[in-house]
Amino acid sequence: MSAGVGVNLENLWIRFGDFVAVRDANVNINGGDFFSFLGPSGCGKTTILRSVSGFLDPSEGRVLIGGNDMAGIGPNKRPTALIFQNLALFPLMKVWENITFSMEIKGASAKERRKRADELLDMIALPGQGDKLPSELSGGQKQRVAIARALCAEPDVLLLDEPLSALDLKLRQHMRTELREIQKRVGITFIYITHDQGEALTMSDNIAVMKAGIIDQIGDGKTVYNDPSTAFVASFVGENNVFRGKVKEIRGDEALIATNRSGDLVSRISTANQGKMNVGDEAMMFIRPEALSIAETGTSGDHFVTAKVNHEEFEGNSFNIFTEGDGGKEIKVSIPNLGQTFEDHTGQQITLEYETQNAVAVPAGELATE
Amino acid sequence: MKNGFLKNFYQHNGKVMGTALLVIISFWIGVLIILPQLSMLDYSLREYLPSGEVGDYTLKNYRHLIYGAEGASDPYNYVDLKVFMRTIIAAICVTIFNLILCYPIAFFLGQVAKGMKLRVFALLLIIPYWINEILRAFALKIIFGATGMINAVLIGMGILDEPFDFIRADIALYAGLGYAYILLMVFPMYNVIESLDGNQIEAARDLGAPWWRIHARIVIPYAKPGISSGATMVFMLSAGALAAPQILGGPSSLWFTQIIYQWFNDGGNWSQGAAYAIVLLTSCIIIVLAFMKLFKVNMGDIGK
Amino acid sequence: MNNLFLRVSIWVYLGIFFAYLLGPLVIMAITAFNSNGFPSVSPWECFTYAWFSELFQDERILNGIKNSIIVGIGTVIMSVTMGLAGALILTQVWPKLRATYYTIVIAPILVPGVVLGISTVVFWQRVNNWLGLGPDSILADGLFLTIIGQSTFIASYCMLVLVARLQRYDLTLNEAALDLGATHTQAFRKILLPFMMPALATSAVLAFLASFENYNTTTFTFGDYPTLTIELAQKVRYGISPAISALAFIIIVLTVFGALTNEALKRRKELQAAASGDTVKKVDGGFRLPAILSRNPAMIALIALVAVIGLSTVNAMSHNPAQCIADVKEERDMQRTLEAEANLRALAERRAAAAAARAAEAAANGEATEETAPATGGSSQTGGTGAFGNVFAPTNLDGAEEEPEAPEEAPASPFGSVFDPGNLSTAEPSGGN
Repeated sequence: MSAGVGVNLENLWIRFGDFVAVRDANVNINGGDFFSFLGPSGCGKTTILRSVSGFLDPSEGRVLIGGNDMAGIGPNKRPTALIFQNLALFPLMKVWENITFSMEIKGASAKERRKRADELLDMIALPGQGDKLPSELSGGQKQRVAIARALCAEPDVLLLDEPLSALDLKLRQHMRTELREIQKRVGITFIYITHDQGEALTMSDNIAVMKAGIIDQIGDGKTVYNDPSTAFVASFVGENNVFRGKVKEIRGDEALIATNRSGDLVSRISTANQGKMNVGDEAMMFIRPEALSIAETGTSGDHFVTAKVNHEEFEGNSFNIFTEGDGGKEIKVSIPNLGQTFEDHTGQQITLEYETQNAVAVPAGELATE
Repeated sequence: MKNGFLKNFYQHNGKVMGTALLVIISFWIGVLIILPQLSMLDYSLREYLPSGEVGDYTLKNYRHLIYGAEGASDPYNYVDLKVFMRTIIAAICVTIFNLILCYPIAFFLGQVAKGMKLRVFALLLIIPYWINEILRAFALKIIFGATGMINAVLIGMGILDEPFDFIRADIALYAGLGYAYILLMVFPMYNVIESLDGNQIEAARDLGAPWWRIHARIVIPYAKPGISSGATMVFMLSAGALAAPQILGGPSSLWFTQIIYQWFNDGGNWSQGAAYAIVLLTSCIIIVLAFMKLFKVNMGDIGK
Repeated sequence: MNNLFLRVSIWVYLGIFFAYLLGPLVIMAITAFNSNGFPSVSPWECFTYAWFSELFQDERILNGIKNSIIVGIGTVIMSVTMGLAGALILTQVWPKLRATYYTIVIAPILVPGVVLGISTVVFWQRVNNWLGLGPDSILADGLFLTIIGQSTFIASYCMLVLVARLQRYDLTLNEAALDLGATHTQAFRKILLPFMMPALATSAVLAFLASFENYNTTTFTFGDYPTLTIELAQKVRYGISPAISALAFIIIVLTVFGALTNEALKRRKELQAAASGDTVKKVDGGFRLPAILSRNPAMIALIALVAVIGLSTVNAMSHNPAQCIADVKEERDMQRTLEAEANLRALAERRAAAAAARAAEAAANGEATEETAPATGGSSQTGGTGAFGNVFAPTNLDGAEEEPEAPEEAPASPFGSVFDPGNLSTAEPSGGN
């Protein structure tokens, strides 16, 4: 299994009665990838995961694992293992029995199972904890046991359903690194479900961003962050300032957008939309808070924005300025704290500056709600 | 749509387990619950033939309850009708008596008693329920007997001059029926009252509500599902009781179930017995449904 | 004041409630040891075990116990199985069907037992005929019919117990098992069943008890296999004997013992659970228990119940029942002799009086009546003492002696305990616990 086993979703539709949970999903997940489905709750990402693990039948389309159609194959026969959101450790079984449950099913002897459990416990850095009950473990330890239990089944694909959501922030950040390391070590395909863009960005080789049953964009972390293909992706992945307007002029891969309040601004057109945006189209332009900086007052042009400062805050690593925005929402400017002195701009008109390649234009669309 | 449910069900339970579950539940619901009742209904609508053969359809068995045997001197079957009415009314009285007796204990256990005390009281409540129904009736027969405890005490205190026949006066019977189903009244009420947030009571008390108002406005409305559940069970079981009336009933007064029993076991007329059983069942159900309607309770609350 | 009054009335109420609930059982248990042939407490004759040996020589009772156990085991198996299936389906049934389904499976609890019994007999007799089987086929068998009839409604009880536990079951555990390669059957056996075990045990015990004490249904179905309850009912209906009290005593002792053991086990488990989280608790947990016991009035009542039973046993050890019974018999014989003597004397006197009257009549003289009247009065008095003396004399004497003291205490005691604040404050700590 040099490259691991890939997973393909082909024209996948999943409906519950009249409700469409997944709409025409087409995803190719390479073998050995750490692949994330990222989206707000209720977007259908868990539904996709359940169809891959076999708990749900697709209404239309196919799920292929390692090139094999999985239709009619039950969850217990698929080469997948799922880590549940609540972990679903068996409460009445000891840790080692939990871990080696898949071997018990296959009829392995208690001795073999103990041995394997000890190996896996070493791997997850919980040596000698096999005889405890899950209730006696801490949150992070339970997490690792759940991973060991899934890995013990030697799956080709490991599915993880927001497994870190129940942990506190510190532990969550620690487990990110750990998960990524485990994935590299075992080399199998991980499919990871999360609503936390930080998790998705730090761990994944590739990310699919989902909204209301539709996959908006698939790409690696940088692409999704820097080159979003829809307004939703731009607003969901990371903080972003939005400027609404109409396309006034197309200049190659750049567009001049007549914004509603901030004048004409120039922006790069996101890769997926190049050649698809026309003059007069409703458009949205996104600039990250860290891509904006304060320019000298009085300067103007197609990459300058003038706005009145509402309030300011000091966040430690950065200094944030919030100004009146375009269409109700405030514009956030984030200036890295390098020891410089900050003046108080509250109530003043200031001019903000950005570089054209740091602004990205997409067709107008639904924004992620926070 | 039905297919969707079955498909889902099988996906959820697997072929073996799913089939096993369906077979077992069909056996229970179909063969044990529904078919016997239909069979009894069918029986009650047929002419009774001593030879054991299946007779023709007739309403004779039901007519008997109202008009009595053909050629009887009375226009109506006063004896049986009287017993029927007495059974229903007495069962309602027993239910009300139990409700009044058990509400305070349910409230006490649900809101006042805590920890160990609660457990011990619960234990004291449950233990009698584990004793055979016949033995419980027997215990009451002992203390209500002519030379029983109660007569001895009453005579000793000078209230009575000579033993009072509690059994002939049916007092023993009513006490026995109430006694038999105390637990069934307490527990549903307790379960509901226990889930009532004590702060509500505190708040009401804080606002100056007297204790009876707290019960009338907060606890009782909240406990309604439990009260109706307990009352339903006590009513149905009292009306359908057989052991207590047989043991504690006076020689001249019958309970309706005893008439059914006589038709069935002594008289050997199954059709007639089945008809009476159907009458008892349907009238009990109608009364319970009427009360549930009256007090706006759902069937789903029963048995909680 | 109002609050205190309420407090007291609560305890008075509790006293009455539990006296009603437990009193008859205690009295019944005590009558098992009275040699009086009618189960009673008040004319206490002698302490005896005779009723127990009579009980154990009663073939019908022993046979009834055997049948009850067979029926009980069969009913437990059937009703726990059906109850579990019913509970599992209830959690998955289509929401629209759920209310109907619930009503159907709960209905047997509410249907009068006689109706269930009759319908079971009627239905299976018909099935039997339809299949062309004879009257001695299994479908017409008392054991079969009783088990079937009882299971119909006992399964509903089991289902209620099981549903309560099943609602706390995390369905993803099942999915996790499937995902790890288990079949549905394996997931059921290895994950769900162990989880349900406590509730299954509870429902099995409940089912057995319900089966053991069932009368209304069984009385129609038992056929050639009368259960203990049926036998008891026959006995109780046609004359009562302290042997039944003896059986009741045994059942009560077993029940109390079972309940206390169960409670102790539960308590120990909780302490263990607490201890596994915090090792310090384990040490003082064991010591705290008696303190709670000694401060708890209800526990004291329970202990008193056990103590009464225990004491009566100890009492029996140091007591010779045979001697006492002989004494009582002698006393009764004595009484009878005295009565006979008294009757004789009265007869003689009456004759004498009649003779005197006749004589007087004959003489037509008032003097004769004067002579006989005192004699008649005196003789009736001696006759009274002879016949009723040993019943009334001691109480009369006691009453006479105590009477002068009574007025001093009587007004204080009945009201004092209610209104005297001093009494209340002493009552409070025991109540407040």
